[in-house]
Amino acid sequence: MADPARIKTEDSLEKEGFTNEEHLKTDQTEPETSADDNKEPSTQDHPKDLKTETEAAADDEEEGTSGQPSSKRLKVEPEKKKEKRHKVDEDEIQKMQVLVSSFSEEQLNRYEMYRRSAFPKAAIKRLIQSITGSSVSQNVVIAMSGISKVFVGEIVEEALDVCEKWGDTPPLQPKHMREAVRRLKSRDQIPNTKHKNILFH
Amino acid sequence: MADEEDEPGFEEELDDGSGGVDAAGHGRRKRLFSKELRCMMYGFGDDQNPYTESVDILEDLVIEFITEMTHKAMSIGRQGRVQVEDIVFLIRKDPRKFARVKDLLTMNEELKRARKAFDEANYGS
Repeated sequence: MADPARIKTEDSLEKEGFTNEEHLKTDQTEPETSADDNKEPSTQDHPKDLKTETEAAADDEEEGTSGQPSSKRLKVEPEKKKEKRHKVDEDEIQKMQVLVSSFSEEQLNRYEMYRRSAFPKAAIKRLIQSITGSSVSQNVVIAMSGISKVFVGEIVEEALDVCEKWGDTPPLQPKHMREAVRRLKSRDQIPNTKHKNILFH
Repeated sequence: MADEEDEPGFEEELDDGSGGVDAAGHGRRKRLFSKELRCMMYGFGDDQNPYTESVDILEDLVIEFITEMTHKAMSIGRQGRVQVEDIVFLIRKDPRKFARVKDLLTMNEELKRARKAFDEANYGS
């Protein structure tokens, strides 16, 4: 089902720090059963295009990864970097268009929910203002809602990993969520200022 | 079972689903984000109808996250106020969140500029 090409795309895109692609990874496991039959003929053409594009893009992205020797990195001038980033952005957009155009209906639904869901700004503003006691600017509300959505995404992804590891199926159950939180806490991705480490008692 | 791992609000999920008036903790408040969180969970890979208990757990986690961030932001930079720079500073170690905030703020600036240019164009004609 063109999995290697898809995974390769996601790996190269991840290097850029684009987070959208990481979330799309979960889509692969879901519609495999139904999409497999319809998708086989059409995805044959796509992987080849994606593969050549990703190989070209992967070379451009070596600057950020550790695989390349530092001498080569120094040779890249700032203007070249900007130009490369521009080209990489356009490649990125093209790749996304190709990807989204090949989605099944269920995948399209999920992608739409992924992009459109957001926390209500009014509620977030009320919550922050109830904590600070003073008013906050609009940018703060925007930033906080954005970070919270990423936070939810991290937990849900980890919970899905846990769910799969334990051999269960989606709808996520509270036990998956709690295990996900426990794992994220051990990685310090969940802020906790309630427990104070007293070094010398 | 590790009881101290999460906030005390978890007990409510076992008692009842109606906001937990008897139990103390986060559950006393009305559910703020139920609808939005359901859509979000579906978008991130969960089932189309996620369990209500899971949605509740996530809401408590989000509210705790926002509360922690707000308290931290109040303690750095300009005391007692929450500013964008403080949030960006707090998030600097987490690459995903940092990139997301930068994107959002840049896009917001672009949108404001576009709207302003549009309004000025209209004003002229």
